[in-house]
This record gives sequence, C-alpha cells and structure tokens, in this order.
Amino acid sequence: MTGPAPLTREGARPAGRTAVRVRLVRRYALLGLALLAAAGAGLLAGRAVAPADVWEVLSGGGDPIARHVVLQLRLPRALVALVAGGSLGLAGVVLQAALRNPLAGPEVTGVTPGAVLGAVTATGLGLAGWRSPAAVVAAACLGGLAGAGLLWLVAGREKGDPARLAVHGVLVSAVLSGLTAVVLLVAPGELGSVVQWLVGSTEGRVWAHWRLLWPWAAVWALAAWALAAPLTLLRCGDEQASAAGLRTDRARLAALGCAVALTAGAVSVVGALGFVGLLVPHLAFALFGADLRAALPGAALLGAVVVGGADAAAQSLSRVAARVLEVDRLSVPVGALTTCAGAALLLLVARRRGDQE
Amino acid sequence: MPREFGGAGPAGEMLRVAGVGFGYPGRQVLDGVELSVRAGELVALVGLNGCGKSTLLRLCAGLLRPTSGQVLLGGDDLARLSRRAAARRVALLHQSAPAVPGMTVRQLVRQGRYAARGPLGMLRDGDDAVCARALADVGVAGWADRPVDALSGGERQRVRLAMALAQDTRVLLLDEPTTYLDLRHQLEVMRTVVRLREERGLTVLMVLHDLGHAARFADRIVALRDGRVAADGPPGRVVTPGLLAGVFGVAGRVGLDPEGGWPVCYPDHPLPFETVVERDLQNENHIH
Repeated sequence: MTGPAPLTREGARPAGRTAVRVRLVRRYALLGLALLAAAGAGLLAGRAVAPADVWEVLSGGGDPIARHVVLQLRLPRALVALVAGGSLGLAGVVLQAALRNPLAGPEVTGVTPGAVLGAVTATGLGLAGWRSPAAVVAAACLGGLAGAGLLWLVAGREKGDPARLAVHGVLVSAVLSGLTAVVLLVAPGELGSVVQWLVGSTEGRVWAHWRLLWPWAAVWALAAWALAAPLTLLRCGDEQASAAGLRTDRARLAALGCAVALTAGAVSVVGALGFVGLLVPHLAFALFGADLRAALPGAALLGAVVVGGADAAAQSLSRVAARVLEVDRLSVPVGALTTCAGAALLLLVARRRGDQE
Repeated sequence: MPREFGGAGPAGEMLRVAGVGFGYPGRQVLDGVELSVRAGELVALVGLNGCGKSTLLRLCAGLLRPTSGQVLLGGDDLARLSRRAAARRVALLHQSAPAVPGMTVRQLVRQGRYAARGPLGMLRDGDDAVCARALADVGVAGWADRPVDALSGGERQRVRLAMALAQDTRVLLLDEPTTYLDLRHQLEVMRTVVRLREERGLTVLMVLHDLGHAARFADRIVALRDGRVAADGPPGRVVTPGLLAGVFGVAGRVGLDPEGGWPVCYPDHPLPFETVVERDLQNENHIH
C-alpha cells in the first residue's frame, strides 16, 4: 500500500469536464449571437434612416445621407456602446474578485464617480473636452484612481468586510458626486456637454471616440485576462491564496489598477453608465462559473450585450416618446435605462442571496 | 552530494526552525523556538490558544518572516525563497477559508496548482493528473463537479485538504484540520492524513487541539507555552499529568490505551493560573 496512486487517463480527463466545456461554449455562442443582435438593433434604431436603407448601405449602396448616418453616426455609436459595456463588465468582475466582495462595482467603489469628477473637472477647467478625448481619458483615469484611493483610505481596517466596504464606497461615491455637482455649478457654461457624463450616453459618439476607446480597452482586457488565474485564487481568501503561492498584495494592486483603467476608458467616452459594472459580474459568475478564465470573457460579452441592447432600446424608446409627446427631438440616455434595469436586477440578486442564507 | 530539489536536508531533516523569534511591536509571540522535523515524520503541535502554534505554522510556510532566527526547508533558508517557490515545497491548510460562491470542487483543487504553473497561469497537462490524484487521495473523486459551498463541513475540509495536496509538496502543514468537525469526520481527516503520510512519504506538522488525536496519531508531540517549546518528544514520554498542568493549566490523569498502548488523557479541572509553574514540567524527565 505504498507508492503514489496510479495516474490513469480517465482520471486526468473525467467525462464531467467535457460536459462543462460544451455548456460554456454553448453559452458563449448564444451571447455572441445576442451581441450581433444588439449591434444590429443599434444600427437599425433611430429615425433618419429606415431599416431597408440601412441594409442597402451595408451592402455598399444607398444615398449619401443614408451612408453618412449609418457609417459615420450609427456604426461608431453602436461599436462604442459594445466596447464600453464590455469594459465595464470586465472592470466589475475584476473588482469583485479583487475585493472579494459581491457588492463591489466601479459605481460603488468610488471609481466611476471619481472618473466622472476627473472628466468634468478637466472639461470645466478647459483642459479637456469632446474635442480632445485623450485628455478626457487621462483625467478620468486620474479621477478613478483618486476615487479608489479615497475609498482605500476611508475604509482603513474595514476593507476586508464586504458590507462595510460597500457602505464606505457609497459614502465616497456620494462625496465625489457632490464635488462633481459643485464643479458643474461653478462652471455652468459647460453643463450642456458634460451632463451626459453623469447619466451615461452614447449620443453623438463618432469614430474618434472609437479609435480612442478600443485600443485602450483591448490592452486592459488583456491585462485582466492575465490576472484571471491570480484573481480566481484570490477569491478563495488571502491566507489560502498566499499559501498556494500568490503575492496577494501585488495581485490586488494590479487588479485595482486594471479595473480603474477599464472603467476610466469607458467613462471618458460614454459617461457613468449605472449598474453595468455592478451587475454584469453576478450574471457572469452565474453563467460561467467561479473560474475567471471563463467568467471574464463572459462578462465582456454580457457587458457589451447589455449596453449595446440598452442603447438600441433607448433610441427606440426616444422615438416612441417623441411621437407620443409630439416633440421634435427627444433622447433617452442609455445610462438611465441601464440604471433602472440594473437596480431592478440587483434587487432580485439581493433577494435571492437573502433566501439562501 | 547534490540534493534533490525539495528534498530533505542533512540527516533526513526536512524542516528546521532555528532559534526563531517573532513578534509585533509590544507583543512577542515566539521566542527562541527550536524545532526539527525529519522527512516522513508526523509531528503534532499542541498548546493553549494564543501560545503561538498557528504563528509558528505560518512561519514554517514562509507566510511570515521571523524577526530573529531562521526557518530551513530541506536545508534552504525559507526567507530566501519567493512566495511561489516556497509554495512548491510546502503547503499549508488553514483552519478555515471563505467558500467562493459557485466554485466547483475541481476548480478549488486546481487552485493548489497555482505555484506550479507558468507565468501566464496556463495549466499544464500534468496538472490535471496531480489534481485528480489529490481528489482520489482524500476520497472525493466523484464530486469533482459539485459546488464547494453545497458541501458539509467535513466534506469541505477534505476538499481543502485536496487543494493543499495538489500543491504536490513534500511538506504539509495543517492548522487545526479537525476543528468544527464531529467525531466521525475528525477521525476521517486524521486517518486520511496518516494514510497520506504513509503512501506519499509526506512530512507533516499539524496543530491539534485534541490531545487525544495527537497522542494517538503523531510520531512526536511538540508543546508550546508562551511562545517557547515546553516539551518535545514521542507521545508516550510527553503526555503526562505534568504536561496537562504545565502546558494546558489543567489537572488530570493520564492512562494508557488498553489495546494500543498510547497515552490517553483524563483531564479533570482547570488549575488556578498562579499554581501553574515551571516546576510541574521540570519534575517530569521529558523536557526538551
């Protein structure tokens, strides 16, 4: 009865594992289809061009006005919505894993409000604006880092307690939002252009924004992917993780930086889309399991589908509302939709968790 | 003579704690601790709450750095190994850990392979085999796809033991692995550890609260008191009324198991603290 147990091939690759993989792949595929549907809906939504004309433009024809609307306005807008949503979804998963806190999300850890404050302040000071998107990203990054840093300081020794960290996060977020309001009041001339940051909007996003957003998002998405294994381990608890060989302090710091960068990129382009980063992780973990190597791509897809779909829905809603109210132009910001839908879903999650305990 | 990587040091010594002190400002936890564990030995660490047992275990895993002295793992100074390198040579099972919602048994056990992986965290082929063997070793191979948070306390502890085994180290440190478990599950865990020690030739250092388990299953018992080693030797020599009084502050008797011959404790009542003096230990001839 001595010597190691024999290593059989069946032991190495049990049958259950293949079933799990098949299920994952099927879910990715379904989400991929949903992504295409959301992108398609984004292209079709809107008033100026009818769906049939959109198809014509996409197949290479169409009149110049239709071409301009579809290729210069709708396409970049839809793409920006997808990538921003994906970034927020990734940021949420990274944050929840790093802080081991299901109540964490960029919105409630000071990251999003900090990024908004940074962007608004820079715009108010005339350092940045819609015409200088790179400066906005830089300002949003600084603001996001400052927001996260502020939470770190305020939470102090209570960082380990999810509920208390969330309470501190709400406090910090409230203070940062208040500061944003102050900036807006002091520099009211900028109000019109920056108010979109507060709710989140994809209105008027063009190729310049896309060109800025996607490389940034791609780089940080890769960084998040590289952190997948350490973050999965970190969720098992700091002591267990460091006993298994992880430098927990380093991993957590890298994860926070990555989450801030992803959030700041999204916020600087589409503003503070409420609840996406808080909610998508719950869906991602539920659909793709606790291993971040599976959950991260899932979260990116989910975030993209949620924001892309919400954007298309917001545009359709705007059209209906404009007709009903008989106003010429009305636009429902996508952030208003994600916030409402997200709050409702979060309530469901909270209730379900409550039932389990 | 060249030594095998992760192998034992001189004279089969796997783990050596040499004059280790550890403390925080204002509180010295350990002071001049000497301890040596041979390859393949099963050593139980006993003592009152707060005597420094768990701290000593963390020092042996390299999770804490001693403020004085050094911990040698197979002859190498643990302080010189990176976190990852240390985790390839010594595994530590903590008393408890948060359960990750939805994480399956297989996923948790695979976390034990973290240190063995490449920088990008890709699992290698051999990793699957090591994990499967770890699951089989603790008798949970059939549950690989069950979520850990749906398991009972005893089942969860075995799965966590499998995660530590998946690190595939020669040295295994266990911090009160039987706490929170009922009698049956305590014995299951203890028997599993004993069997693994036999089958894999593991070197085991475990903190135990149950002196009965220590006396029954350990090759050697090391008792700590106030951050110092108070007794060190085989159960038959160490487990005495003097140990009960001197280390645990308890009056009681010690008998022998009629079948196996190992010592059995009959603790009776706690002693007033001032009567617990060095003399109780010094009078017995088993002192370190």
